[in-house]
Amino acid sequence: MFRTVAIIAFIVTFAGIGVHCLVFPVTGERRWGPVHILRRLVCLFALFFIEQKLSPLGVLKKLVFLLALLCFVVLAVTGFYQRLVFGVPISGYFVMVHATFAPVFAICLAVLAVLWARSHRFERSDWPLLQRIIERVTLWKTSTEESVYKSASVVQKITFWVIVFLSLPLILSIVSSMFPLFGTNWQEFLLAAHRWTALVFAVVAIIHIYLVIRAQLKQ
Amino acid sequence: MKKGLKVIGVLLYLSATLSVTAEAGEKLLGDESDGSRAGSHHLIYLYPENEEGKKGNKITPDDKPLLPFSTRWTCGDCHSYNTVSKGWHFNAIDANVPPGRPAQPWILIDGATGTQVPVSYRSWPGTYRPEQVGLTARRFTKLFGRHMPGGGAGELASKDPDEIGREYISGKLEINCLACHNGHPGQDQGSVEGYAVQVSRENFRWAAAASTELATVRGSAEYMPDTYDPFMPAPLESKRLTPPTITYRENIFEQENKVFFNIVRKVPAERCYFCHSNSYLVEKETEKWTSEEDVHLTAGLTCVDCHRNGIDHNITRGYEGENCASTNPLAATSSCRSCHLGEKPSSIPVAGRLGAPVPKHPGIPPVHFDKLTCTACHSGPWPAQNTYLTKTSRAHRLGTINVNKSPEMLPHIIAPVFAKQPDGKIAPHKLLWPAFWGVMKNLPDKNTAGQNVTPLDIEFVRQTAGEVLAEEKRPTSGDWPALTAEHITKALKSLSSDKSLEGKVVYIAGGKLYFLDETGKLCQEEGNPAAQPYLWPIAHDVRPAAQALGVRYCTDCHATDAPLFFGAVAIDSPLASQRGSFKKMFEFQDINSRYAWAFAFSFVFRPWLKVIALGSAAIIAAVLLLYALKALASVVKALAERD
Repeated sequence: MFRTVAIIAFIVTFAGIGVHCLVFPVTGERRWGPVHILRRLVCLFALFFIEQKLSPLGVLKKLVFLLALLCFVVLAVTGFYQRLVFGVPISGYFVMVHATFAPVFAICLAVLAVLWARSHRFERSDWPLLQRIIERVTLWKTSTEESVYKSASVVQKITFWVIVFLSLPLILSIVSSMFPLFGTNWQEFLLAAHRWTALVFAVVAIIHIYLVIRAQLKQ
Repeated sequence: MKKGLKVIGVLLYLSATLSVTAEAGEKLLGDESDGSRAGSHHLIYLYPENEEGKKGNKITPDDKPLLPFSTRWTCGDCHSYNTVSKGWHFNAIDANVPPGRPAQPWILIDGATGTQVPVSYRSWPGTYRPEQVGLTARRFTKLFGRHMPGGGAGELASKDPDEIGREYISGKLEINCLACHNGHPGQDQGSVEGYAVQVSRENFRWAAAASTELATVRGSAEYMPDTYDPFMPAPLESKRLTPPTITYRENIFEQENKVFFNIVRKVPAERCYFCHSNSYLVEKETEKWTSEEDVHLTAGLTCVDCHRNGIDHNITRGYEGENCASTNPLAATSSCRSCHLGEKPSSIPVAGRLGAPVPKHPGIPPVHFDKLTCTACHSGPWPAQNTYLTKTSRAHRLGTINVNKSPEMLPHIIAPVFAKQPDGKIAPHKLLWPAFWGVMKNLPDKNTAGQNVTPLDIEFVRQTAGEVLAEEKRPTSGDWPALTAEHITKALKSLSSDKSLEGKVVYIAGGKLYFLDETGKLCQEEGNPAAQPYLWPIAHDVRPAAQALGVRYCTDCHATDAPLFFGAVAIDSPLASQRGSFKKMFEFQDINSRYAWAFAFSFVFRPWLKVIALGSAAIIAAVLLLYALKALASVVKALAERD
């Protein structure tokens, strides 16, 4: 069940991102010659560098993000590979690598939550349609003043908060199973919760990363 | 017309009823219970076996000669003996019976020749059939019948003309129903004139009767001349020889010459213990009063509460997957899991049978239940850095007379060894390193590599190489003699000089195979399947939950020095040069040593992982809460502004 759902979820996610890339290219260019692909790859690679213009906090943000990205890739591979490819639970060296990167990822998530939360706040302008509906229904006149903070796109904000929110059950489900609190039935529930949360988390994280890259490339 | 039809109808009904009764008549009185849980009163006649092997006349106190009662004909009067004889305790000789999970074999030992071989009629991998080591069924019975409830090999008819004559004198070792079912405290299995002694004296016909409180047997069939007839005993030429004779206790025969047997359906644990005792030599001087019994017995259960059978005596062994090998309907529900967890699909609750507590296993990841048996954490002695020497009733003649009580007494059984079972689960095992002289045939097929070494007849080894090996004196403790490479070389040369042997003469000990090369130099080979240790799972004694592995912390097992993975398994060998060597536990688990160490080492950081993860979760929760409150504040503010 989980294996099938997970495979379908990842295929749909990557396919959706692929289609989105083709339909709404970042730079508006629709050319796919070798030179253009290479150029895009170089641009992508350049995103990993730390820009000189960044402040110390900006550098920290980027470093933490890159570390979180690395941890996410490792955790996703070690966590899903055996389950999706062989249909068996994670075991062996995969467990060890998974458990090694997990606390680093948890720290990165906490730091990113602190550093990025403000820029991912929802604002009135994020919901023009909703704003209009509310105004019609309540006859209220909402304020149109712009935020002074540099803001992310709405979908990016949603995915950010979903990631932050899901990270709690993701972490707590596995950590609480390590304490002598829950019996076998609850242990199985916690493992299932960790597995399913990880799947949703991974899909949302992939979308978020895609949006972040798009935003960076646009700049 | 109607009257005629009625008569035909009645006749048909009667014939149908009679045929059903005839079928039911195949069962004897005691083959089927009427449902009463009360014990049955056994005031019965005694019947001997006559000289033709059939049912003799009722035994009376005035009979001359006075014969021992036969369980086949006495107990068999009401209980189908042939059905009982197919039970697990008696059916090892039947090749059609699935061997099931490997269990404790009989161990043929001869310290002087450096021999300890696992022997069994069941086809458990790593054991040898008795005839492979030169044991006829009769010799096998004489050696090991002391701890057998009779039947099986004890009743096999010999084809050897010499043995046929001796069989007539000694009789067959019938199933000793009383070994288990006699509720009288006078049942004597192991003392001076008890069952074990009678078996060793070849008093097979007398053994069951001698074991009861009802009779005493003196004399020995072993030393009777071949012309001796126990049914018409003539005075013996030598007055030093005493023929086997039975004396029934006074007043046991009532008016009609019936005798009362204190038969119990629910066999007391002490009866089982005679053959199934274990003594783990944890301390230097382990006494039974210093060690605990199985927690189930302490809780008030008996062995037969779990190990059950019907009249077919096909007793449940109680391991997972037994239902694949056993026809006992309870086999599927007699394991640890089925009582404690009740995992069998059922429309009614089945967990907690016999009052078994349903375990919660808090904090134990479920993967443990896929990779470990219940016994891994709950059974046997608490594992230490080194394995223990272990004694068992059957291997060390416990409970019989003149037992060498030294801890080093052979055979050397080592426990607990945490090894992987064929089902992939790790379980605690007892282990025996085979040591024997054999002949290796160079078979090209790798699949038969384990079968390419056949043990030599122990008598032949004694005669041919005994003198060479006797150079080294055996210690009084019953331990191995300290054999050297020189001894092995000389013994191999002596044995090789016998041209009747087909193949290369080898010696197996401590996991190695020794042989002489073409120049006569002693060589050794490691990894030969025939030299591999024989392991059988430990089921008892079960420790209480509070003493299970992992009850304190994960590091009970997941530490770089945890015995479950890194304990030292002693390599036992008569060769002095091999003494003190050992293997690590993970070598029996198909686990890479680096992986085992790395995994165990990762638990050093487990507390950090928990702290970091919980700390991170707390920060994330705080951020979420903060921004949720901020969002709420925005809504409140907006509403207030509007108001």
